[in-house]
Amino acid sequence: MNSSIQKLHWRVVGASVCGTSHVKNSQLCQDAHHWEMLPDNILVAAAADGAGSASLGKVGAMVAVEAAIKNISIKEVNQEILASDNSARSLLSEAILAAKTAVEEEAIASNRPPKDLATTLIIVVATPTVAVVAQIGDGVAVAKDSMGNLTALTVPDSGEYINETSFLTSPTALDSVQVNVWRQGITNIALLTDGLQMLAINMSVGLPHKPFFFPLFDFVAKAQELKGAKEQLVKFLRSDKITQRTDDDLTLIIAALSDS
Amino acid sequence: MSDTLRLDEVVDFAENPEPRCPCVLLLDTSGSMQGAPIEALNQGLLSFKDELTKNPLASRRVEVSIVTFDSNINVVQDFVTADQFTPPILTAQGLTTMGAGIHKSLDLIQERKAQYRSNGVAYYRPWIFMITDGEPQGEPDEAVEQASRRLQGDETNKRVAFFSVGVENANMARLSQLAVRTPLKLNGLNFVEMFVWLSASMSAVSHSKVDEQVALPPIGWGSV
Repeated sequence: MNSSIQKLHWRVVGASVCGTSHVKNSQLCQDAHHWEMLPDNILVAAAADGAGSASLGKVGAMVAVEAAIKNISIKEVNQEILASDNSARSLLSEAILAAKTAVEEEAIASNRPPKDLATTLIIVVATPTVAVVAQIGDGVAVAKDSMGNLTALTVPDSGEYINETSFLTSPTALDSVQVNVWRQGITNIALLTDGLQMLAINMSVGLPHKPFFFPLFDFVAKAQELKGAKEQLVKFLRSDKITQRTDDDLTLIIAALSDS
Repeated sequence: MSDTLRLDEVVDFAENPEPRCPCVLLLDTSGSMQGAPIEALNQGLLSFKDELTKNPLASRRVEVSIVTFDSNINVVQDFVTADQFTPPILTAQGLTTMGAGIHKSLDLIQERKAQYRSNGVAYYRPWIFMITDGEPQGEPDEAVEQASRRLQGDETNKRVAFFSVGVENANMARLSQLAVRTPLKLNGLNFVEMFVWLSASMSAVSHSKVDEQVALPPIGWGSV
């Protein structure tokens, strides 16, 4: 029993692709993502969506994910820290703050107001038994437990209007952060930005759509070669089936806990 | 791993209603619009439909409604998505009961939002786009003032974005008192270009994510 747990490890495939409306206007993809494996089977992943109305949204998104992951990875995060809800929450809150500071510093360095780098941010720290997530803005983090249930770890945050959300650079950003701790036997984690929200979540009830996530989780769990898997994911995100339904930038990170 | 596995063949999507982007055209059909202006406006409406339907997402998301004001207020077109929209042929007669027109368009938006909410449809901030060649006429000043106060309150609370466009001899000073946003003056009867712009703007809004305001395309058809 113990030895099979020893062999468990995360397989992660992630991609950000440019929406067709941005391709048409030769804009950059405003999404960014990043992930890292820490010792002790701890996965850290982040996704961000730069605001279309922000001229440097892409820069904001990139700086935010890098800074958030770095902030967590340089700490000696272990299962013990994550065993306490309080310390787990602090870990994520500090990462949000670090990302916000990094984006604001980047704005100063580029001589621009912070809102030019407006971006959302989702960060997840996951082990086989706990997921801790922090989010500002829309997009969603989803987990699958060992019983096969899907849970949305966060709620896409939009105002009355679907295109209005909170950003890391908003003055009230830190008031709108969602931080959640979820303790279950976890088999999968997914992060996605708002471009995929309508395809992946049954919005009226706020539940993840199983026929969306299950094949993707299965795909990553069985992926032998991650470079090829990423190419397949990119191809999927660019497929007609998706671009007919959304013209937004898309980011999807899928993680599967695997014992092979 | 099989090389033939294609994710787009195995992944299925949630069925959520398309988000809607409501737009009320609030149009002056008073007597002074007779002749060339109303014909140019009708032509403009045809271009509006054509342009919106060129963009597959906008044609499913943008909902158009038309309210006319002369001596009466008429809802010529209740909200329909652009692909279902048949531009009407408007005629001009009578006075300019603009205040009542503003009330009606704000009512329509309020009702539409309630329908969206009860059906779980996500939506963008509604637009009202008013076009006039005159100024309020044929109703008490008090009524116009009241419509203006309601409009300014709704604009300030982000319930609506209200744009006004003056044509030919429109009283621009009066228009700027009524609304929050500065009215724009149409160059000649360049309605076609204006509606192409409006379509591009609605398309931009209908797939935008904003911090404060969507960046709209530059205006080539008028001036402040």
